[in-house]
Amino acid sequence: MRRALLAITGLAASTTALVVFKGSPGTSQVAQNLPTAQPVNPSGPGTEPGAPGTDPAAGTPTPSGSAKPSTSPKPGKTTARPSGTRTTKAPSAPRTTTKAPQSTTRRVTGNGFENEYGYVQVQIVVSGSRIVEAVALSLPSGGESDIHSGDVRLAYDGTGAPGTPSEVVRKQNANLNTVSGATETSNSYKQSLRSAIEQAF
Amino acid sequence: MTYSHTHAAGRRTGTSSRHGGRSAAPVPPQIPDRRGPGGRRLLGVLLLVGLLASVLPWWLGTPAGSLRSTATTVTAAGRITGLVAGYLLLVQVLMMSRLPVLERWIGGEHMARWHRDIGATLLVTVLAHMSLILVGYADLRNQSILAEVGTLLGDYEDMVSAFVAAGIMMLVGFSSIRAIRRALPYEMWHLLHLSSYLILLLGFGHQFTHGAQLYRPGPVRTGWIALYVLVVAALLWGRVIAPLAFNLRYKLRVADVVAESTDTISIYLTGERLGRLAMLGGQHFRWRFLTRGCWWQSHPFSVSAAANGRWLRVTVKVVGTHTADLRDLEPGTRVWAEGPSGTFTAAHRLRERALLIAGGSGITPIRAMLEELPPGAALIYRARTPADVLLSRELDWLAQERDTSVWYVIGSRDDPGPRQLMSPDGLRQLVPDVARRDVYLCGPPGLVEQSVRALRRAGVPRRQIHLATFEL
Repeated sequence: MRRALLAITGLAASTTALVVFKGSPGTSQVAQNLPTAQPVNPSGPGTEPGAPGTDPAAGTPTPSGSAKPSTSPKPGKTTARPSGTRTTKAPSAPRTTTKAPQSTTRRVTGNGFENEYGYVQVQIVVSGSRIVEAVALSLPSGGESDIHSGDVRLAYDGTGAPGTPSEVVRKQNANLNTVSGATETSNSYKQSLRSAIEQAF
Repeated sequence: MTYSHTHAAGRRTGTSSRHGGRSAAPVPPQIPDRRGPGGRRLLGVLLLVGLLASVLPWWLGTPAGSLRSTATTVTAAGRITGLVAGYLLLVQVLMMSRLPVLERWIGGEHMARWHRDIGATLLVTVLAHMSLILVGYADLRNQSILAEVGTLLGDYEDMVSAFVAAGIMMLVGFSSIRAIRRALPYEMWHLLHLSSYLILLLGFGHQFTHGAQLYRPGPVRTGWIALYVLVVAALLWGRVIAPLAFNLRYKLRVADVVAESTDTISIYLTGERLGRLAMLGGQHFRWRFLTRGCWWQSHPFSVSAAANGRWLRVTVKVVGTHTADLRDLEPGTRVWAEGPSGTFTAAHRLRERALLIAGGSGITPIRAMLEELPPGAALIYRARTPADVLLSRELDWLAQERDTSVWYVIGSRDDPGPRQLMSPDGLRQLVPDVARRDVYLCGPPGLVEQSVRALRRAGVPRRQIHLATFEL
């Protein structure tokens, strides 16, 4: 029984250590300290640690975001799902309305991307030469996808205000860290974001 | 060598062993080669590597700094514990697969102890996995934990069966807590424990439909499925194919049932090709006697004589209804045996000489082992009354034949004689070189605990102490 207690304690400690280690600031935390200094630059210095090794199913035939040029969306899919209907659904994003649009503020909607789990489309709010907010208009939904989409939304969306630590606003480019467990959706998000940035600037 | 009686160990009246305690086959004593504890260590390392490998996909799939919110952190911890639980469940089943290699290499006693410790760990890990995932998902979806349970059960494929599996696991786990287990009839406990296979089945689906690391096709998913296949194959081999092959080959039957004392019987078994049966004294089989009342029960008994090519013998103390029924076995009854199993053998000695300590009917594996130990062994036989001394004629004969000192220590545990003898000083007086001997212990838990404490204080290293316990 003593060994079992040891094993349980050891497991609890190492699980905590793993989570703390992965959650601890890597390169991204450094970037967080100087968000205002970040220029709007689609090919900025943001890094994607471990992105090539992250996907255990590297051989899956779905489009991989970083490899494909952002100008080649699947055109049929985009028209099939007009972004207007999606916008009305804009799920659980009441914070978009709280911020009154300034005169120089404009909204740019990126191209939609379909992956094996669903449809991804991103809208950004640009003020001057800065992205001030990012909202996913559509993300895969249903079952496990809800969770992954929640992870993605939590990581990328928002205004960069203390409550919504949006990676998009922080980095000002599309080189985002892939969200664990949601590699495809992350990649589609990045593709859509990239196309929105290209349209905006 | 000295050969002493502290008490005239009662020669019993009544029926005695037909064979007069003499080995029916006068084969020259064969001392088996040493095997050592290397197997146990290797398996331990392998299992640890497996544990690390099972968490590796999560590690590789999670970019550093990606766990920003509490919800994602808690969910990540839930995923880690989920992977660990999935792995430990497979290890648990493997431990109980009775794969012949493991039974002889690691020994059923050690496996059972590991199984117990890993079982407790597994239960806690599963509970942690469930609560972490629930809290994490509920937080992500901004709903209460109860509502989250509803969502998971309603919208998630395979999740109902996963919850059922967790429920069964809790039932099995709690029924195995010693105090509760003692209060349950063995058969009920055993039936509950058999339902563990359902856990394997019911818990399977949700890992692949919802496991963040497993739901996508790829090497991780393939590897995880391969592990399942391997463990199920081991289970089939150890529980079905190997016993089938063994019993078809040796075709054991009851030859005779002999009373050894008022409450102890010896069952002699014969079969075919017993000369080729690789078995060591001190090992045990799980026996199933195929009569109307007994066939559905399988119990582990040690063989009480080393392999002699002609017969096997188990010596059993009558303590319950099952063992009482064994008294009425008819010669010719078919016997289904699984084994041999165990590392409580002369082959697992670390030193040249041994001290054997037996209590009551715990003499049976030690009696068999005596035939295979190098000369110069010492035996302390504890029994409450002279009538409780079993197989004394054989022990006397072995003492002469194998140059073994035998002390019969008769009396209650609290009598001054036994108390003095079973103390560190008493042991050192009796066996001056006890610290340089292997010590083999078999007997009631009280005696074993007391002896281990005394032996440790007398300077015997832990690795030289061998225990034969079927008790978990």
